[in-house]
Amino acid sequence: MSATVVGQSSAKPSEPKNYLNADHTLKSWLLSVDHKRIGVMYLIAVTFFFFIGSIAAAMIRYELTSPKGILLSSEVYNKTFSAHGILMVFQFLVVVVPAVLGNFLIPIMIGARDMAYPRLNLLSLYMFITGGFLILTSFVLGGVDAGWTFYVPLSTISETQISLCLVGIFITGFSSIFTAVNFIGTIHKMRAPGMTWYRLPLFIWSHYATAIVVILGTPVVAITLFLVVVERGFGFGIFSPELGGDPVLFQHLFWFYSHPAVYIMILPAFGIISEIISCFSRRPIFGYRFVAYSSLSIAFLGFLVWGHHMFLSSQSVLQGIIFSLISFILAVPSAVKVFNWTLTMVKGSVHFSTPMLYALGFMGLFVIGGLTGLYLASVDTDVHLTGTYFIVAHFHYVMVGGTILAYLGGIHFWWPKMFGRTYSEFWGRLSAMIIFIGFNLTFFPQFMVGYLGMPRRYHYYYFAPEWQFYHLLSTAGSTVLGFGFLLPALYLTYSLFKGKKAGPNPWNAKGLEWEYTSSPPITENFTQPILVTDSVYDYNPAEDSKMYEVDEEATVEDMNK
Amino acid sequence: MSHSHTKETDGPEVYFQYEDIEQQQETYLVGMWSFLVTEVMFFGALFLIYTLYRWKFHDDFYLVHEQLNWKMGGLNTLILLTSSFTVALAVHFAQKGNTKLQMRCLFATILCAFGFLAVKTFEYGAKIDHNLLPNHHFQYGHVEGEEEHHVESKWDKMLPSVLQVEKKEQHGNPQRARLFFSIYFTMTGLHGLHVIIGIICFTALMILIKIKSSLITDYVPTEMVGLYWHFVDLVWIFLYPLYYLIPK
Amino acid sequence: MAADHGHHEYTAGGAHAHHILPQKTIFLIFGLLLGGMALTIWAAFFLPVKSLLENTFFMQSLALGIAVFKAYLVVTYFMGVKMGTRLVKIFAIGGFVWFFVLFVMMADYVSRPMEPVVGWEKVPSSALPRDTVKNPE
Repeated sequence: MSATVVGQSSAKPSEPKNYLNADHTLKSWLLSVDHKRIGVMYLIAVTFFFFIGSIAAAMIRYELTSPKGILLSSEVYNKTFSAHGILMVFQFLVVVVPAVLGNFLIPIMIGARDMAYPRLNLLSLYMFITGGFLILTSFVLGGVDAGWTFYVPLSTISETQISLCLVGIFITGFSSIFTAVNFIGTIHKMRAPGMTWYRLPLFIWSHYATAIVVILGTPVVAITLFLVVVERGFGFGIFSPELGGDPVLFQHLFWFYSHPAVYIMILPAFGIISEIISCFSRRPIFGYRFVAYSSLSIAFLGFLVWGHHMFLSSQSVLQGIIFSLISFILAVPSAVKVFNWTLTMVKGSVHFSTPMLYALGFMGLFVIGGLTGLYLASVDTDVHLTGTYFIVAHFHYVMVGGTILAYLGGIHFWWPKMFGRTYSEFWGRLSAMIIFIGFNLTFFPQFMVGYLGMPRRYHYYYFAPEWQFYHLLSTAGSTVLGFGFLLPALYLTYSLFKGKKAGPNPWNAKGLEWEYTSSPPITENFTQPILVTDSVYDYNPAEDSKMYEVDEEATVEDMNK
Repeated sequence: MSHSHTKETDGPEVYFQYEDIEQQQETYLVGMWSFLVTEVMFFGALFLIYTLYRWKFHDDFYLVHEQLNWKMGGLNTLILLTSSFTVALAVHFAQKGNTKLQMRCLFATILCAFGFLAVKTFEYGAKIDHNLLPNHHFQYGHVEGEEEHHVESKWDKMLPSVLQVEKKEQHGNPQRARLFFSIYFTMTGLHGLHVIIGIICFTALMILIKIKSSLITDYVPTEMVGLYWHFVDLVWIFLYPLYYLIPK
Repeated sequence: MAADHGHHEYTAGGAHAHHILPQKTIFLIFGLLLGGMALTIWAAFFLPVKSLLENTFFMQSLALGIAVFKAYLVVTYFMGVKMGTRLVKIFAIGGFVWFFVLFVMMADYVSRPMEPVVGWEKVPSSALPRDTVKNPE
């Protein structure tokens, strides 16, 4: 990217202070309003919740190795998969990319010193932690058995800790609203001079689209869950059929948020992939404006398809057909993105570094996840497939294969920037391979067993013991997958202490964060004010390919060691 | 935080992350507006629920709404409109830099907010005494073995005669009545909660201005609390006709 | 760059001089709001035309119409959208437009019946009490 430094800095340059070593006290971390420190604290928090959610997933997989169930009673199994769903959706997937990478990178990418509202940013971190703490408390006090969707009337009559859990989700929801408000204010008003909308990195575009979805959708689910709490606590009867209320109204309101919520989870991931693909193909992103607009159109169209979760409810056939149609249309902007990424690689100088491997894995898995979504968007096949393991496999392909792979790719891509250290490329590539294999082994058999009729949320299948084969494959795969997730945790932590010092731009990538800040960046990001004069993506594949020749030798040496 | 690269302008002090005061003021307003969009959707879902049930059970809702005291609702509308007016004046004086009048307007607003809550206390108290809060004590309409379903409430008697309305028989389906009161208490209760939050914000604002806190550098904090308060008023502008004045 | 903002003229409170809502306008809007409220109550109880008083659709439209007008006044003047930047206008309008997307849900309810089967509440509930721990099958 071309940008020039303007003005003179009064501060002395060349001081190796950065945001990590600016101050070492615990208070300076816990009360920091620095967006980078908040991002790092989010990183720790979401990793913790991901770990707890993974334990629940492991219990589910272990239970399903036998047709009759071996470990958990029905009651406990319900609580286990509910815990897995609630933690993974509300405490991990919705926040993970915006809160960690978005927080860290958005101000740097647009040339700002910090977020627009730094104190609000810190508040939203603590609301997130408070919400997560309440949710975990509700699990400890007896668990929640209504699944992460909390359908009434089960959630209003269930005698488990649903109220406490819903209060926790409510607080987490407002945390993500505050983050989104912060993103909107930052992206609108904090851009450096010359950073016009069409010069913005696509990472920013997709986070902007996400923030719009959050502020429009999250309040609706917040109030809906609040109504369930009120119904449980005071005996109000807003969804209660004996008073003339409609339980399906809950599903409408719930999915009005929760379908857009899957775009909250996947759109930031799209942003990461756009950055990684263009960097490691050494080519500007193909069809920049199409990719940018497709983010926005996904955000807006995503609000008009919630009914495809409700084909089997008493929703009217007319509305079902309309929702089915719009769901098919929604596949177009997603496909635009995938085709544009593919075309970016054409004639590029593609280099298979760790982030690129994750990004390519993302593209493959997202395509499978997206295309199986079309089976579920069509009314008649959905009647057969919904409520089976097919749908479980479908959304894990999109959520795990999409969001988590992109998140890991992003973490690997920006790790040298965040902490100033490089990790072992060998272990990085290995972990990407292991996760890809483990993931497919876990979830592909679930497509098959789901198609055969295995219902989701069951912990036994004694009526069809021949399905055990698929379940065993899936459990074996989940073990590999778990090992794959453990690897980055280990070698990335190791790299913090023993990793080689990364220069400001180890990938020779473009963008303000690579070209104009040190690694790790200083507290207010830039030493001098900057003026942006050209697009972000000015890669040149012919020239850039030469730099890999040196790089390759280094890697081979590294692997031989 | 270092202010070394903050440009000197002729306006008030600028936070470290902004270039100049204009950027700071606009950014705060944009943030407040996007939060208000959230609030619109928050109440929007409730208005949708109201619309659906009102459309389904219009006749019952008409009969049940006669239990509400439209004079008290009207009084509250008056109070809230007045408070909106005083907030607008407070922002006006804050922009002019007239702190004394600004503080008086803010104080008047807080008084209005407490007045609103006082009126709500009378309304809610009477409803609870009449067993119309939709919990397990809820009772509506004629009960078998009872001559006349009539519960006295001290809250009603304390009202001046101008504000009392004629007692209506409890007509209509008791279950629909319970549905009506569920939505009524949820919506007005959440609105009341917003009023309480508003009081907290105004009080904090006044204290910060009084102690000349460094957090208040210009008129924008007043304007932001004001925007929030206008939104609270806006919700009530719709709640009043929708609950107290349901046509036949 | 931010350096070339030469036209800054700030009041003592830090506002641009042209952003301030005049005192006269505030009083005028307040008067209109009170008038709107009086009109709503008058129409609801004392409208002289009997046939209109019994027309639910008309009465509801009238009450909501006045409410929308009052809301318009509050948003445009008191909340300063009229003097605000283009961005503020977009957010203000966008929020209220998106509110109506929620009403797509009504399309479901107008195209299907929502009547429960008569007497269904007398059927013993199959959901309670749940005895799944003792009898997993």
